[in-house]
Amino acid sequence: MPDNLKEFPAGIELKEEDIYEAMQGIPGYLDITPGDFKELYRLAYRHALERLSREVTAAEIMTTDVVAVNPDTPVAEVAAAIGRRGVSGLPVVDVEHKVVGVISEKDFLTHIGVTEPKNFMSLVAGCLKNKRCVALPIKKALAADIMTSPAVTVAPDTPARIIAALFTDRGINRVPVTDPAGHLLGLVSRGDIVKATMGRGAS
Amino acid sequence: MIGTYFRKMAGTTQSPPRVGLAEILWSWLGGFLGIAAVAYINYGFLDRTDLVMVIGSFGASAVLIYGAIKSPLAQPRNLLGGHLISALIGVTAFKLLEPHLWLAAGLAVATSIAVMHATKTLHPPGGATALIAVISGPKVTNLGYLYALVPVAAGALVMLAVALLVNNLAPQRRYPEFWW
Repeated sequence: MPDNLKEFPAGIELKEEDIYEAMQGIPGYLDITPGDFKELYRLAYRHALERLSREVTAAEIMTTDVVAVNPDTPVAEVAAAIGRRGVSGLPVVDVEHKVVGVISEKDFLTHIGVTEPKNFMSLVAGCLKNKRCVALPIKKALAADIMTSPAVTVAPDTPARIIAALFTDRGINRVPVTDPAGHLLGLVSRGDIVKATMGRGAS
Repeated sequence: MIGTYFRKMAGTTQSPPRVGLAEILWSWLGGFLGIAAVAYINYGFLDRTDLVMVIGSFGASAVLIYGAIKSPLAQPRNLLGGHLISALIGVTAFKLLEPHLWLAAGLAVATSIAVMHATKTLHPPGGATALIAVISGPKVTNLGYLYALVPVAAGALVMLAVALLVNNLAPQRRYPEFWW
């Protein structure tokens, strides 16, 4: 760990008067001096920083062996690639390997006219009820036409905890990991998060 | 180096704030009821026996368990454990070292501090409990190891019961912080 992480940030340095006032806000006699509390707080803060810096990050759990498609890849090929990999979605990258979007099963379902909820069984139900089965309005489409863009991405040092929250909040199942310029580094899926919670040896 | 040594004596921080009036009054009430209960048993029931119930160190315990109820030193583990351990150590020191009471007294208190630390039962009045076992004369020393049960453990239990009942009556108080 870099040494500067161990230093108490000057901007939020607690003053004894802060502690004294806080102690006045708590009814009852506190068996500690403001000076000792400050020392305790400083050490606890350092421990918290160390704990956070030890957290599992995106870089540690991401899959680096990622198949990506280009914006001008025909959707038929995209679908084939998704099927071959046994995944549910892929990142879309431009010629510079920068992430421009994500394509998932949900994007396909949306663009072939499946109504809510957008899942495979809704598609099957639609097929069985209507004459025309899988509508083919996207037969000629390209990846760029149906991808979700811009993609939600994370940095390599994003903690797994944050990524898990992102999955839940945004209702997504995978997130590309990019460098600051947006280049694809890897992909974190829900499965990677699950593996990460099984222990650090998951990689 | 000698300068550093003396500078340490200057202190580095300030005294904690004064507590509010309600805290002062609840501390008074707890202290009164706790000590009165133990003393009532002592003078009301045990006066004509060889037993005692009230010992000086309970006055010190009262400061902690009614006046500084958040303190780790004031929690049940420390109150009961500190008194009981120190009482056993005090009686042992007296039995082993009598009539060298100066030595028994020093060893009783010092060993009590050490053992209370080691057992996470540090309770300052325990030091007094150990000392009393050595210096109080026949009325106490004749009790032998019974001293650890009555008055020490029994008295501490009565004080604890009062602490649980009275401290939790106050809207802004809660006792204990932990049991063990």
